[in-house]
Amino acid sequence: MKKTVFLITACAVVFLASAVISVVMLNAPSGDIVKIKSDGELLYTIDLSKSPNKTIVVEYNGKKNTLEIKNHKIRVLEADCPDKVCVNAGWLDSTAIPIICLPNKLIIEYENNDADAAAR
Amino acid sequence: MDVRKLTKLSLLTSIALVIFVIELRLPNIVPIPGVKLGLANIVTVYALYNYGVRDTAMICVVRIFLGSLFSGNLMAMLFGFGGSLLCILGMSLLKRAVTDKYLWLLSIFGAVFHNIGQIAVACAVMQTFAVIGYLPFLIVTGCIAGLFTGICAQLLILRMKKR
Repeated sequence: MKKTVFLITACAVVFLASAVISVVMLNAPSGDIVKIKSDGELLYTIDLSKSPNKTIVVEYNGKKNTLEIKNHKIRVLEADCPDKVCVNAGWLDSTAIPIICLPNKLIIEYENNDADAAAR
Repeated sequence: MDVRKLTKLSLLTSIALVIFVIELRLPNIVPIPGVKLGLANIVTVYALYNYGVRDTAMICVVRIFLGSLFSGNLMAMLFGFGGSLLCILGMSLLKRAVTDKYLWLLSIFGAVFHNIGQIAVACAVMQTFAVIGYLPFLIVTGCIAGLFTGICAQLLILRMKKR
């Protein structure tokens, strides 16, 4: 019985901690400098506050992701991957949460990314 | 392994596979990669309760392999393996501590372990730690999904026991 109580508590702690971290991360401020990486390789570093509206096409193994920069924001406009998770993610607006396209190994993130800084 | 057990395990595998394929048809409500209900986990919990870790791992490996072939998403296979193996390991360690009435707890922990495994594989595949940012979201949704599948698994296990 003691074990059960302990496990339920552990469960609640993990759930609440993740929920709090999620909320904090969703409210993390956005930055200006955006890095676009494909397969671990840095392709572009763009200053969104200075960049004009444009589209960028990133290719990986013949697969294409079309990125759109508009009004100093960036998003994935089109992708030829099956799940379209990166397109549905919408505009990049948190330093904590990058836009990721797993099939095409594409990452779009703000430069002052905490998780990435810890890895360096 | 005798024929009786082999038949039971393969039956469980095919049930898990059918659930998996049906679940593929459900639309994804959360736009985060890796988030899903994981209904096939019901079979994993059931198998872990009634059989050993090795048998459960066999069921899962075959299900994920065939499942990703059916869905045509081979990337999913990598994530599935990483997540499921960690999930089975974690659940088997916790199995003894959980009584019949609280089997749903096992499933929640399984879901959390599954998410950690998925993210670990994603870190390796993408060669960056940036994907760890998804972990809190995966754990929040994983806990809810794990609770649901856990309740299903508990109902199933207790009813099967009565017969």
